[in-house]
Amino acid sequence: MTQAFLELRNIRKNFDSFTAIDGVSLQIPRGEFVTFLGPSGSGKSTTLYVVAGFIEPSAGEVLLNGRSLLGVPPNHRDIGMVFQRYTLFPHLTVAENIAFPLRVRRRPKAEIAAKVDEMLRLVHLSAMRDRKPAQLSGGQQQRVALARALAYDPQILLMDEPLSALDKKLREDLQSEIKRIHAETGVTVIYVTHDQEEALRLSDRIVLFNHGGIEQIGTGEDLYQRPASAFAAGFIGNSNFIDIEVLENRNNIGDVRCPDGSTLSGVPLMGRTQTGKAQIMLRPEHIRLTAEAEGIGGHVTDAAFLGDVMAHTVLTGWGQEIMVRTPRQMFMGPPAGVGDAVRLGFAPADAFLFVPH
Amino acid sequence: MLMDFARLGWMRWLLCATAGACTLFLLAPLVLLIALSFDSSPWLQFPPPGWTLQWYAQVFHDPDWLASFITSLEVGSCVTVLSVLLGLLCGFAITRGQFRGREILRGFFLTPMILPSIVLGIALYSAFLWLHIAGSFAGFVIAHLVLALPFSVVAITGALEQTDKSLEDAAMLCGAGLWEARVRVILPAIRHGLFGAALFSFLTSWDEVVVAIFMASPTLQTLPVRMLGELRQDLSPDIAVVSSLLVLATALLMGLAALFQKESAR
Repeated sequence: MTQAFLELRNIRKNFDSFTAIDGVSLQIPRGEFVTFLGPSGSGKSTTLYVVAGFIEPSAGEVLLNGRSLLGVPPNHRDIGMVFQRYTLFPHLTVAENIAFPLRVRRRPKAEIAAKVDEMLRLVHLSAMRDRKPAQLSGGQQQRVALARALAYDPQILLMDEPLSALDKKLREDLQSEIKRIHAETGVTVIYVTHDQEEALRLSDRIVLFNHGGIEQIGTGEDLYQRPASAFAAGFIGNSNFIDIEVLENRNNIGDVRCPDGSTLSGVPLMGRTQTGKAQIMLRPEHIRLTAEAEGIGGHVTDAAFLGDVMAHTVLTGWGQEIMVRTPRQMFMGPPAGVGDAVRLGFAPADAFLFVPH
Repeated sequence: MLMDFARLGWMRWLLCATAGACTLFLLAPLVLLIALSFDSSPWLQFPPPGWTLQWYAQVFHDPDWLASFITSLEVGSCVTVLSVLLGLLCGFAITRGQFRGREILRGFFLTPMILPSIVLGIALYSAFLWLHIAGSFAGFVIAHLVLALPFSVVAITGALEQTDKSLEDAAMLCGAGLWEARVRVILPAIRHGLFGAALFSFLTSWDEVVVAIFMASPTLQTLPVRMLGELRQDLSPDIAVVSSLLVLATALLMGLAALFQKESAR
């Protein structure tokens, strides 16, 4: 990559004594769908508003095609945005809302009319063109907002949790709609959400935020399969953390001791520690319930049939609850019930080792 | 609803009677006044010995009454325009500004509502004497503006607070400058508030008498001031006529307001 399309360089933002963003650096190529994922207060929205131009960073640089955006007011940044709240202009019809950015730019009438038609087709709302926003459902309002944000062919489309006010079914419909529109228009998208499933479903790359900084950048698969930190492992997907002690390190493969005294060998240490206290993270679907003599022992405290998977909660000998998910085709014999004594089996290579700070 | 009208039983009649009594109590003086304006007796005799329109003809042909009516309209209109404009700027400052003491400022804007108007009248009068604008049209407008502005600030600030700031942000990202966004998007969104502000500002000036007495001069009198002056000299049917006209004008304004509310509710 010679020059990034959009680049954030070491952005910081302090509000009085509180640091909202603490040194965020990021490069986004043209046409990419990037999601800022993180818990609330992690700095993801603040970073988005820095790109939009509504928040001026305390330090750092925002570059679009190598040119700084910082001195450019929001209305000249050529950025489209869909907000968390409904922001259609209440006194204008759907068509007038979509035409608004073009009217502000004093485009010729014929061009505006053609563009409004095109946008209405893009979001499948041609039949609603003369409605007022108050006559639309929440999902329809956000689709019009999307059409309005794309009407002037912006360089970048920002989306700040646009679906968070909608119910689950509608949210999933609109997610596929957003994906389709991204594919059709090729616009560069920065999408903010706290919903990991939404991030996994939509994004080319996910930027995981925590405490005002970037925890990890990667594809959904990267974050799930190769989490860079315990936070990343905990935030994407379900996870069990077990406190262990690394007894021996042989070429970055370790022997570890679990809290109940049982030992495991073959745990990848990933260069994170020599010996001593650490944690391993296990995905619930990587654990099997076995009747073998090996492995961590415990008994089942909860068992639930969830259709495609069976979910168990197992209380270990040291009093920690471990989540186990068994895919349907892996069921062997009658599934374990509440109260059954079981052993937890897993491949040591599936364990992720982290050293707590 | 817990208190369903249809399920109140005999209490319904009690409720209707109470409401009727209240309405009568509120309307009776007005009805009496309007009846007196058509009274054929020149001494405001009640019940009227006969009916006439001659007092109306007399008022409409009296240049003094007309002059004070025009003055009231002019002062009221100027106050309305200035009050809405200033109220809008204050509203933006209070709701969108980020500076210390915003809440104090907000309270401060309301003080003319709390101060006794006689005190305000004296204060303004002495200030205007010093500024040499006592008895002038500008003085009149400024004095009434002080009284009207709190209503305007309250109405507009309330409307702005209910309007999401992200509406403004969205308009700006669409390419509009800050003030363009405010004029093209925020103003239509708060038009109720603006209309309310205008209505209350006008009415504040229209029926204000205490401060107006200090501001008036023999050549510059609003309708209420002139009515008071007239009353002090003698009790003529003219007063009943002018009062009835005032009631009519206010009723028309309120009707207009109701129509506007209905239109924008759609």
